Amino acid sequence: MRLPAIAPRNIVMPLVVLLCGGLVLYPIGFLINESLNVGDPSAFPPEEYGFDNFINLTDDYRALANTLLVSCIATVLAVIFGFLQAWILTRTNIPGRRRLERLMELPYYMTPLIGALAWGVLLGPKTGLVNQLWRSAGAPGDLFNIYSAYGIAWVMALFEGTVAFVMISAAMKSMDPSLEESSRVLGAGKLRTALRITLPLVAPGVLSATIFVFAEMLGSFAAAFVLGIPGRFYVVTTVIWQATLSFPPDYGRAAAMGLSLFAVMLVTLTLARLVLRHGTYTTITGKAFRPRAMDVGVMRWPLLGIAWGYIIVAVILPLGALMLTSFERFATVILSQMQFTFANYQTALQMGSVGPAFVNSLILGISVATIGVVVIGVLAWIIYRSRMPGSGVAEYVIMFPQAVPRLVFGLGLLWAWINLPIPIYGTLWLLALAYFTVFLPLGLRTIASVVLQVDPSLEECARVCGAGWGYQMRTVIMPLLRPGLVAAWLLIFIASVRELGVSIFLMGPNSKVIAPAIVNSWLSSSSELSAAMALIQTATVFIAVAILFGLARRVTGVTQ
Amino acid sequence: MRRLRLAALLVALSAATPAIACDNPRQMAGFKTCADVAKAESEGALVVYSTDPEAAAEQELGKFRALFPMIKPIYLRLQAGALYAKLLAERQGNVFLPDVTQLSDMSFALDFQKRGGYMQYVSPEMAAYRPEYKSSPEGYWTWGALVMAAIAYNPTLVSREEAPKTWKDMLDPKWADAISVKVSISGLQHVEWYLLRQLYGNDFWPRLAPLKPHAFDSYVQQFDRLVNGQDKVALTAQYSGYLMMKAKGAPVEFVIPPDGVVAAPQPWGIVKEAPHPAAAQLFMDWFLGVPGQTGNAEVLLTHSARADVPPPPGGASINEFKVLTPTDWHAFEQSHAQFVREWDKITGLR
Amino acid sequence: MSEPRIEVADLIVRYGDVIAVDGIGFDIAPGELVTLLGPSGCGKTTTLRAVAGLETPSGGSIRLNGDTVYSAGQRRNVPAEKRGVSMVFQSYAIWPHMTVFDNVAYGLRVRRLPPGEVRENVRRVLGLVQMLEYADRPASKLSGGQQQRVAVARAIAFSPNVVLFDEPLSNLDAKLRAEMRVELRELQRRLDITSLYVTHDQEEALAISDRVIVMSGGRIEQIGTPEDIYNRPRSRFVADFVGSANLIEGKVRGPSGTDGTLIFDAQGGVELEVVGSGGSSDRATVALRSSYIHLGQAPGSHNAVAGRIHRRMFHGDFIQYVVDWPAGQLIVRRPPTELFEEGSDVTVSFAPVHCVLL
Repeated sequence: MRLPAIAPRNIVMPLVVLLCGGLVLYPIGFLINESLNVGDPSAFPPEEYGFDNFINLTDDYRALANTLLVSCIATVLAVIFGFLQAWILTRTNIPGRRRLERLMELPYYMTPLIGALAWGVLLGPKTGLVNQLWRSAGAPGDLFNIYSAYGIAWVMALFEGTVAFVMISAAMKSMDPSLEESSRVLGAGKLRTALRITLPLVAPGVLSATIFVFAEMLGSFAAAFVLGIPGRFYVVTTVIWQATLSFPPDYGRAAAMGLSLFAVMLVTLTLARLVLRHGTYTTITGKAFRPRAMDVGVMRWPLLGIAWGYIIVAVILPLGALMLTSFERFATVILSQMQFTFANYQTALQMGSVGPAFVNSLILGISVATIGVVVIGVLAWIIYRSRMPGSGVAEYVIMFPQAVPRLVFGLGLLWAWINLPIPIYGTLWLLALAYFTVFLPLGLRTIASVVLQVDPSLEECARVCGAGWGYQMRTVIMPLLRPGLVAAWLLIFIASVRELGVSIFLMGPNSKVIAPAIVNSWLSSSSELSAAMALIQTATVFIAVAILFGLARRVTGVTQ
Repeated sequence: MRRLRLAALLVALSAATPAIACDNPRQMAGFKTCADVAKAESEGALVVYSTDPEAAAEQELGKFRALFPMIKPIYLRLQAGALYAKLLAERQGNVFLPDVTQLSDMSFALDFQKRGGYMQYVSPEMAAYRPEYKSSPEGYWTWGALVMAAIAYNPTLVSREEAPKTWKDMLDPKWADAISVKVSISGLQHVEWYLLRQLYGNDFWPRLAPLKPHAFDSYVQQFDRLVNGQDKVALTAQYSGYLMMKAKGAPVEFVIPPDGVVAAPQPWGIVKEAPHPAAAQLFMDWFLGVPGQTGNAEVLLTHSARADVPPPPGGASINEFKVLTPTDWHAFEQSHAQFVREWDKITGLR
Repeated sequence: MSEPRIEVADLIVRYGDVIAVDGIGFDIAPGELVTLLGPSGCGKTTTLRAVAGLETPSGGSIRLNGDTVYSAGQRRNVPAEKRGVSMVFQSYAIWPHMTVFDNVAYGLRVRRLPPGEVRENVRRVLGLVQMLEYADRPASKLSGGQQQRVAVARAIAFSPNVVLFDEPLSNLDAKLRAEMRVELRELQRRLDITSLYVTHDQEEALAISDRVIVMSGGRIEQIGTPEDIYNRPRSRFVADFVGSANLIEGKVRGPSGTDGTLIFDAQGGVELEVVGSGGSSDRATVALRSSYIHLGQAPGSHNAVAGRIHRRMFHGDFIQYVVDWPAGQLIVRRPPTELFEEGSDVTVSFAPVHCVLL
């Protein structure tokens, strides 16, 4: 008697989903376990269970309030930046649009830590470079003190603005231009058209970007770390930092705070899904059209200024400030005191640990990104295209790592993986696994948007021609998803090289990576050395991406 | 009766004389060792977990490697809390990676000793350390360096007359919003808190609170801000930081209060399940000996606990300081929770 | 004659290196419906959008209602929202986030008409397109045909005197297209709206237009009434594109002496009487419409040649025959009542006036 043949898709699909779901839920399980630990914090498993950690959260109400304040301001700013840039670069006819769009990727290469350092140099009270200029122009006091809630929000918004830009411009690009043209032909001016027609139509895209950015802000750490603590301004993530590094380490408190953030972010992400499903206006029709740019006449120059302004403020100014610092003997922004040297670069490049750390980071970046896009590509197809039962739940679960602050998730990963008999602790494999887990949401979201745009009839045609599921995947679906796969690859690569929160806990002596090294040098060596290392890191990532991009274009023939 | 007295005498003697790990320590270049050098070299590696800055630590380890090129040093740097967390988590998962560890907070070292984490190895070089500078019984941890801290200021912003001369000068309201300290995670800060409290009473620190000091994770930040004029004085200013900035030509001055400077120890020890035990022992002997200590003082700009080691380059000899350290480490450890609570309030965390 | 409503002169539109419209000109009188007809890429849509102000030309001039809205020489380019013309888009461009009412009322509200007047106008035009009962429905829930009607209503709501149509019917199915075509024409006539219409469907163009402008490669091939275009094509392209035509190669021998016709020597020794003034004694082409060819003997026809039915295809409203004859093959369309068997011999005959020399 022959066994009924099980279609390969029925094995692979549930396996992939279970695997990814398991990767995410397993560390979260440990976190939940630890958050209920009210006994000896270093005992494992916890000896006493209770809810005290959650009840005591009310002691930290100020940090919670600060977190919400900063996140809201930063979200509003980031969405404004992103919307303005998206509108200027996709709907108007300012010159050099394409180049500007490429440049908008740049802030993403710099970690927020570096950005925060740089802005400290620029707008530190009394002595920030900009403040010095302000003073010399005769104005009293500071133009702005970056060591404040607004300062933190500003730096965070500059970086997340690019994310908002990418999401909103995607929505704007996929809008039928005749919707705006008909408004103008009917006599409405450009402003009225923008407000009455463009804005409501891209509203779902903008809303989804807003909610996503808000979720990111809640869990962000670097800016608050550099700019908040000195100003005595604490948010949840910096409190968690303190809790995990003090002695005795208060893991229970850290886990409880992390999980509360998790809960808040889950709620906002759920809202985002609801909004998207309910209110999306299908503006993507089957036709191919180029969104026609609106002629803005003399407004062209001010708008060009704003577009370049963002690039200058988000990229050029901070890089400049860093470069200045990296060449100084000791970090100062007081012009009269500056002395210059190459010594920092020499030290950075000669440090025995820096070389291996860079190599490790690059290896991790390439391998996690490569394996990641393949697995996530299949995953995305399973969740959004197949009608496998439970795919909705799977999508939800896979988005969890988004909602947990990285530092806390790193702890969970540490506990989870160190207790398995598999000897991957201290190796790059563990870091790769951890990165993969943490970047699942990022990859899924990027590829999902492309999956949703693919016409089902293209797959159906392959089936009718007799192609099995595996063959379809390889020859039809994956090639169609290529633009999304390439985009996801790049994002995951860069995110891996920058990754800090998870790396701190999972690094081993033989598996060091670069981001913690920069933080270490900033905390224990000197700002100039850190600036030099940061610039080397940024340059390396930039070059690596340029090379890989060039290779990709040659291989696939795709011009983005 | 006489036999009993003899036995008691023998016990007392054996307790008084340190039990060196071997009978005939071998004399190497500048230090003595009980380790099996050939075995150490065949082990081929040495893994160090420490909180010292990477660039400096690599230099120090480089000196060791110059003597023993077959032993490859591998270094991991983490902040004290993260380092200890990692150490404990690894051990709990039965993973043993480090050979030697430096835990910059005495509370960590004592706790680790209690958990049986250290290997007891009595280096021949330990004889040069006073009893209060090493574990008791000895051989678990020893102070590999002394981090001195007092007050520093920027002479271009604060004139010599205005500058504080004693600890109590720091309570002057003119320093409001212009003082930098370290965060409550810092072991050094705990020591300073504990000691000044003993010296000046329990109300010393609450009187500092209205001046709203700014807290930082690292001395690098403190000194950067001092140079940039964002703070006027650094309370809990590390002498090593001062030396480093001075060498770079930055405008900083250090105040040695007559009541004394506080000193936080850097306890070093061998981990019990070290994967390269012979190499670890060899390293500890070298490190605790004059060559290692001299090298350490040079790269970290800290003082050695040994009296026969020169001060860090550009720095004053240890005899010029009145060094204050806690005497009852047990009480010190017990005070930690209270310190964190009070300090977080002073620095605005809570 | 009153002043033309739309005047286009020497219009050139360039996209980078590509010249989409290469120096065309035409006038449209008040109340006329003129169609720009041609294959994809001929420049008809570009011309229309240039008149609307949605494309910026590179040369020439456009005048609407006597006002210059674009002139390369005067460096004048009035933006689209100030030109006062209306447009119906190929994709209808109905705004999904508004109701039908709000869509139609948009142009009126832009002109700041009081709400009472707005309502009145909206209801009036919705009634004209038979969409009144859908007034409060969200526009995203309409079918294609309904969206098209709303698009038309929106375009005429503020009573413009010029409306531009960009292939408004090409997204509808054949039957709906045929119906809507008639309705549109009726509406246009009734409201006396000057219209510039773009389509690639020559049947549609012939059916509804007062005049047709045939375009190809950015240039005008021929302007004329539908009958002109159909019966007297001036070029191979027009003959081929509009209606079904047979193109016969040959040489002009000379005048025949009767009624101003010419003798035309086609291939295979076929001698025909043709009209027209094109062609040389070397080479010439004659265009002959399929519907004008008779099978069998027709009285009074000068051109009669023997042939054989090669293929027959039933098209419902007509039968299309492929007939072999000495000069090659002819496509012939006859009413369904004239049934001939494949392989049978027939005589093809046609009047000289239908043999147009190109």
